[in-house]
Amino acid sequence: MTGYAIETKGLTKRYKGGILALKDLDLQIGHGTCVGFLGPNGAGKTTTIKVLTNLIAPTSGEAYINGVDVVRDPKEALRQVDSLVEVPGMPDYLSPHEMLSYFGKVRGMSTDAIHARITEVLATVKLSDWEHKKIGSFSTGMTRRLAIAKALLHDPDILIMDEPVIGLDPKGMRDIRDIIKGKVKDGKTIFLSSHLLGEVAETCTEVILLERGQVVGKGTVAELTSKALARSIDVTFRHPLADADLARVRGIDLVKGVDPLGDRVRLAFDGSPDSGAAILSQLVSMGLGVTSFTPQAATLEDVYVSVMGDERGVN
Amino acid sequence: MMADIREDMAHTVLSVRYEILKHMRRTRLLIALSLAIVLPVLFYIIPRVANVSFASTADGFMSNILGFGSFLIIISAALFAGDAVSGEFESKTALLTLSTPQRRTSIFIGKYLAAMLAVFTIVTLYYLVGVFEVIGIYGVSKVPIVTMRSYLLALLYATAVLSLTYFFSSIIKGTMASTLLSFFGLIMILPIVSSLMMVAKVEPWFIVTYSAGLITNVFLQPGFGGGGGGGGGGPPDAFTSYSPQFTTGVEVMAAYAIVFFIIAIVLSVRRDAE
Repeated sequence: MTGYAIETKGLTKRYKGGILALKDLDLQIGHGTCVGFLGPNGAGKTTTIKVLTNLIAPTSGEAYINGVDVVRDPKEALRQVDSLVEVPGMPDYLSPHEMLSYFGKVRGMSTDAIHARITEVLATVKLSDWEHKKIGSFSTGMTRRLAIAKALLHDPDILIMDEPVIGLDPKGMRDIRDIIKGKVKDGKTIFLSSHLLGEVAETCTEVILLERGQVVGKGTVAELTSKALARSIDVTFRHPLADADLARVRGIDLVKGVDPLGDRVRLAFDGSPDSGAAILSQLVSMGLGVTSFTPQAATLEDVYVSVMGDERGVN
Repeated sequence: MMADIREDMAHTVLSVRYEILKHMRRTRLLIALSLAIVLPVLFYIIPRVANVSFASTADGFMSNILGFGSFLIIISAALFAGDAVSGEFESKTALLTLSTPQRRTSIFIGKYLAAMLAVFTIVTLYYLVGVFEVIGIYGVSKVPIVTMRSYLLALLYATAVLSLTYFFSSIIKGTMASTLLSFFGLIMILPIVSSLMMVAKVEPWFIVTYSAGLITNVFLQPGFGGGGGGGGGGPPDAFTSYSPQFTTGVEVMAAYAIVFFIIAIVLSVRRDAE
């Protein structure tokens, strides 16, 4: 038995065709934490989650949930876990009530408990009015909400979620973010993968960065952002810049991007202090009337970019 | 241990229930039930309309109806088991069902049993309609005693066909491909192979569709099950037809039922939900 909610040791997965998705992956997720699992497409995030949820078998290595080997005893390992993996297909011939009843019965919940929890979780994901309608008539966002309802049904201690807000509108994303935050407050363990760095920064306390099947960075969000270089500078000018002046600013070699934000302009650069100083010097020499030059605090996106290189998150 | 076994059985029963619900809510069950009723009824209606007499004996009448029984069994197996495994992975419902605290064997055995229940219902209905027609035409006392033996053989054949279909579903990725392979494999490919073997004067005793002949052979009088070899006389290069032997046929069907079921379950359980 270990003290971790989720742990992998030397986890390796090689798919048919020789693709190495995971290479000796070691993860430790403590109880009661919310950990964001970040990485570019093809990094191995979904593969890791699928091994943890018994959807695929690893080539070698071990995966444990609450100290139980997922490969040897998946039935026991998954008792206190629920998950949302990729975009699962839904049984279109069932209603949400029927589908959730199935999963409640799989988990050995009593009939009364199933009915009560179905009402609660459907209200949580705003699908109460659709409880007895066929899933086949649902939109993408609705099926996503239903999948989240299924993950919440038996109030698991551990939630494993793969891109939970995919397919949801901004309000839906906010609702799910609030649900996850609520679960974190309740002391649940959340392990979620996402491309939406802003969402991860807001909900997760820790982050693991994965690339080519290996961990390339991990720590709390605060630790990682404090170490990362800020990659943007907000500059204000005496007068708003005309288009011609904006074009001159864009022409500065060290400036990677120019984003007018009303009363200021945000410049993207490589984050190094020398580059920052050089950009300030060029702006002053252009006679644009710089009134303030403020490097922004590093964001999770800055961390991601500095670790991954040119791969960027969606946000 | 006992609690674990009880839980596994409960999961299997749950899988059967929801799979049966799926069959009932889709048109497949309606199609199969309709065929099970319409096909034998046609054997009653057509002679009436054409103003010709029925078969001279109830055995002959039942044999005529049941000649299409094996086709109905294959169609039903393809409908209910053709995509039982492949469908879970293709539609990605496996991402929901396989990530739960239940053994995969419970899920896939449950699906198989549900398909078996559906196919057995179809076969039973087919025989019942035939028997009612015999009663209507020839009288209750003329219902062939061997009908029950034929029925049991039909159920055994259905199990063998189901296992083979389930095996195809477990190895093939796409639902369309697995269903069509099952259907055409059993309707066309295996019978063609049987015929070619007979042309080569080799009895195709190990081909399951050949064993299906037992279903109607029970109505042959006398010497049922005399089987292998023999056709009539004639020149040495005349086509030799064969007839399945009872014991061999039963053993072949049982072997298909058990072996392909086991292989299908093992492959389904080990399949990655990529």
